[in-house]
Amino acid sequence: MRTTVIVTALGPDRHGLLAAVASTVAEQNANIDDVSQTVSNGMFTMIMFVSFDETETTMADLQAALNETGARIGLQIHVQHENIFRFMHRI
Amino acid sequence: MVFITAEEILETVRMIQTENLDVRAVTMGISLHDCASRNVDELCRRIFKKVVARGRRLVPVAKEIQDKYGVPIVNRRISVSPISDVVASDDPAAYVKVAQALDAAAQEIEVDFIGGFSAMVQKGFTQGDRALIEAIPEAISGTQRVCSSVNVASTRAGINMDAVVKMADVLLEVAKRTADNDSIGCAKIVTFCNVPEDNPFMAGALHGSGEPEVSINVAISGPGVIRNVVAHHPDISFTDLADLIKRTTFKITRIGELVAREASEQLGAQMGIIDLSLAPSPKVGDSIAEILESMGLERVGAPGSTAALALLNDAVKKGGTMATSSTGGLSGAFIPVSEDAGMARAAAEGALTIEKLEAMTSVCSLGLDMIVVPGDTAATALAGLMADVMAIGMINSKTTGARLIPAFGKKAGDWVTLGGLFGEAPVMSVNSAGNAAFVARGGRIPAPLQSLTN
Repeated sequence: MRTTVIVTALGPDRHGLLAAVASTVAEQNANIDDVSQTVSNGMFTMIMFVSFDETETTMADLQAALNETGARIGLQIHVQHENIFRFMHRI
Repeated sequence: MVFITAEEILETVRMIQTENLDVRAVTMGISLHDCASRNVDELCRRIFKKVVARGRRLVPVAKEIQDKYGVPIVNRRISVSPISDVVASDDPAAYVKVAQALDAAAQEIEVDFIGGFSAMVQKGFTQGDRALIEAIPEAISGTQRVCSSVNVASTRAGINMDAVVKMADVLLEVAKRTADNDSIGCAKIVTFCNVPEDNPFMAGALHGSGEPEVSINVAISGPGVIRNVVAHHPDISFTDLADLIKRTTFKITRIGELVAREASEQLGAQMGIIDLSLAPSPKVGDSIAEILESMGLERVGAPGSTAALALLNDAVKKGGTMATSSTGGLSGAFIPVSEDAGMARAAAEGALTIEKLEAMTSVCSLGLDMIVVPGDTAATALAGLMADVMAIGMINSKTTGARLIPAFGKKAGDWVTLGGLFGEAPVMSVNSAGNAAFVARGGRIPAPLQSLTN
């Protein structure tokens, strides 16, 4: 079954942040469906739509890998199933 | 894929990460009626077995949902059929044994609390009801996770004043037995009018007789989110403010709906209700008092506090109702003192009094909740306070409850630390004018005209 999650990342800007997050997602055999990022007043904000096949990786593994990456590069990274956004903002 | 804007995504993340948005409780209701046995030991064995069998997966499933959606689920709880309906005995010792079985089951499946050590006595006592009430002090002081509630009044039946007096005595005894922990046992006892049968909040949760075999009820939270919205709009009119609260509550409630659907499906239980209550916690920024103060009150308790709470409570219900078709439980803002750092501060400063809290009870859910009073408060005064709260519920056809803590050995102005979500609070003074002759009349305050609705 294909699962879509939304990855958000926030923290002080520096070189290579998006690349580091994207690499981790790729290492987990997940696909980036859409990504947007901005830098405002030195703060990096990124939103990434990521999908994966549950036979290839799990949400827990993806979360663990991204948490490790976030700790290494100084970003707060959150991974949440898309349904929470769909439920909160759409009927 | 549903299109969701970046602004909406970041709003959700902000609510959870910085405004303490969480799901306050996922409560599994379990019917115990099929556990009935005249042999108390056999009854306890059946109760333990059923609660563990049905509730075993509650904690892991809640954790899984929490991780999946990134929303904290603060409490996982069990509610059971009112125990006085399940035990066929007039011996208080039998009820104490059942409380111990409930506690053991709750410990086994690692839930925070188990509610339902309860009786419905609004119209009168059965022999079992009397025995259960007599057993409450030993049952509560001798267990860790068991919560008790007694419904002493309803709009249909009136107020059983004999039961109110009994509950006052129970509170004083529990306060004494748990004196080493600031009389914390009283925090696990609620005296109700019009008790809901599907309430997910403790200490008053029970699984009523009209409920299915197993159900999942979810309590939402989010005072911090509402407070931020209100604080960011200091100049808008009440009409616009109510609209803003409604929109925000809609979003909060949708999370509850999502969690309830998923938890009930995974646990093989019927989806019960979403309780639209705004429940504070002792964390700064997670306070109903702070919402009211953000509306423009210097301190909660100031003139206008009841009106502010009425607006908040109504807007929360309207926004929530649009977000789910399964509303229930208490569904209204809570105004506990010890569990809300802002309320406790206002009480300590003298801005918030018991009389003002009683007035505020008339426009929201629960009532005199988590209020610490001096340990030497007379039983008649406690009974009078509870009777007043019951009267508000009875006349207004709504749920009200009292959770009073007569802290053993403490006097007005002392601070009491109950710990965890129970928080801390100053001991509030109680009006010292006598009421003994009033309370001593006994009997039942008749049901009001409002009861004749057919």
